[in-house]
Amino acid sequence: MNPIYAVVWGVVALFGVTAVYGLVWAIRSGQMRDFGRGALSIFDDEEPVGMVTDAFPGGQTADGETGDRS
Amino acid sequence: MNAATSSDAAPAAAWRAEVDASCAYPVVAFFVSAVFWLLFGTVLALLASIKMHTPGFLSGAEWLTFGRVRPVHLNTMIYGWGSMAGVGTLLWLQARLSRVRLPLQLPLVVGCALWDLGVAGGSIAILTGHGTSVEWLEFPYGWSFLFAGIFVVVMAASLMMFSARRVGHVYVSQWYLFGAVLWFPFLYVMANALIHGALARGVVQAATNWWFAHNVLGLWFTPIGLATVYYLLPKVLGRPIHSYYLSLLGFWTLALFYNWAGTHHLVGGPLPAWLITVGIVGSVMMFIPVTTVAVNHHMTMKGHFALLKVSPTLRFIVLGAMSYTVVSFQGSLQSLRTVNEVTHFTHYTIAHAHLGVYGFFTMVMFGAIYYIAPRLTGREWSSPRLIKIHFWGTALGMAVYWIGLTWGGILQGLAMDNPDVAFLDVVRHTMPYLWSRTFAGVLMAVGHVAFAILVWRMFTLKGRRLPEPASAPVVAMAGGAQ
Repeated sequence: MNPIYAVVWGVVALFGVTAVYGLVWAIRSGQMRDFGRGALSIFDDEEPVGMVTDAFPGGQTADGETGDRS
Repeated sequence: MNAATSSDAAPAAAWRAEVDASCAYPVVAFFVSAVFWLLFGTVLALLASIKMHTPGFLSGAEWLTFGRVRPVHLNTMIYGWGSMAGVGTLLWLQARLSRVRLPLQLPLVVGCALWDLGVAGGSIAILTGHGTSVEWLEFPYGWSFLFAGIFVVVMAASLMMFSARRVGHVYVSQWYLFGAVLWFPFLYVMANALIHGALARGVVQAATNWWFAHNVLGLWFTPIGLATVYYLLPKVLGRPIHSYYLSLLGFWTLALFYNWAGTHHLVGGPLPAWLITVGIVGSVMMFIPVTTVAVNHHMTMKGHFALLKVSPTLRFIVLGAMSYTVVSFQGSLQSLRTVNEVTHFTHYTIAHAHLGVYGFFTMVMFGAIYYIAPRLTGREWSSPRLIKIHFWGTALGMAVYWIGLTWGGILQGLAMDNPDVAFLDVVRHTMPYLWSRTFAGVLMAVGHVAFAILVWRMFTLKGRRLPEPASAPVVAMAGGAQ
């Protein structure tokens, strides 16, 4: 038998096992609980919810306006 | 492991600065390389497009014939621009979300240089007549070992950051990034082994080829693109994603369904009917993840569209996210046999492919680079005018491209299905649409040149210095969270 078959089926098995393991791990470790907190995990005290973190150079708008955009 | 963790007690701005600084050399190397290949691929795109309506254009040299220029355009955009911009973004995102310094910095920089060598060598091979003629895998077989080796380094860096992460929760973007770094090397190695290892021949080769080619978009560019949108959209707006539950449902259903869709490219071909039907079913099931993403992105943006005037990043990623919705629904419908009867082998398919790779993924990568680069260099972008030229050139170019070839493709398909219309008449009737394609290409090229100037100025530190080392322009937005 061509040895490439062993590589192909080996990788298929590895890939499948990894995907299933990932899902089982996610469920068991609580990743699928408390979605609200998960969504907030990218914010912190210095870049909190409510802060826009990107602007044109000089804080301009696309129309060339500057200043407070609150 | 040298994925040194930043201190738990450090203020957020400090750890962000530390993480961004650790990414600087590898990520800049990938971004600069990506933009070089974007320009190179654009020149080849224009050449190929002009040859479609003016076949005699530069036809004297065999290395500039359509059959060589077109695959070099495709491969430089896929492996040069798209993959290198994607890897740069992936590394930065994974470091940010894991809150650890980027490991393997030197191997990644060396890997980037070798990747450039691979794309250059593969392109020269195609231009000199040594391409493989296997679509999306035209580089000669030998180069695949080089790319596979570099993927191992990228995968290792990603896994090292994940295992050293300081955040217990795995944010949805990290799931998508995991998908990309685990799925694509698997796809790439398998496709090369099966096709170039001579195991897959005849119709099996075609099935393998399209399983691979379709999944380059679905299991490589799509997860990186969506990971980027799921991070940058809430981060730029300053409001959490509308439904985190939907975002995770979208990831796992994409993981379940996308892999099956590739054989819809062979509708009408000499394959077992069940194999093509499986591809069609997988394609239609993609309505589920795509709807979750579309609802989530729209509801997160709702009430905040005015910020498109404020943020260059937001402009590009919102346009990219909208294109994702359109191209995905279009793809699901296109897989149906009745629709495919008309659209197969027409310019409609080319419009669809570009809406995916360009309208969605490339736009998101532009947005990502606008966000990431100032945080790596501590400099502002040098010119709002060039950013606007970039946006409008690429957005209008993509719109003209998609509308022209979609409409022209439908007319072409209907005419080809009509036995009373001579084939050459069908070709003649496509001419205006092929000219619109070249016009669109010129618009996009103008945008790319503006972007390249901006990137050059950014990484040669020509922009104004930002006040904080880790902070790009930040706008206080009272009431931003609603």
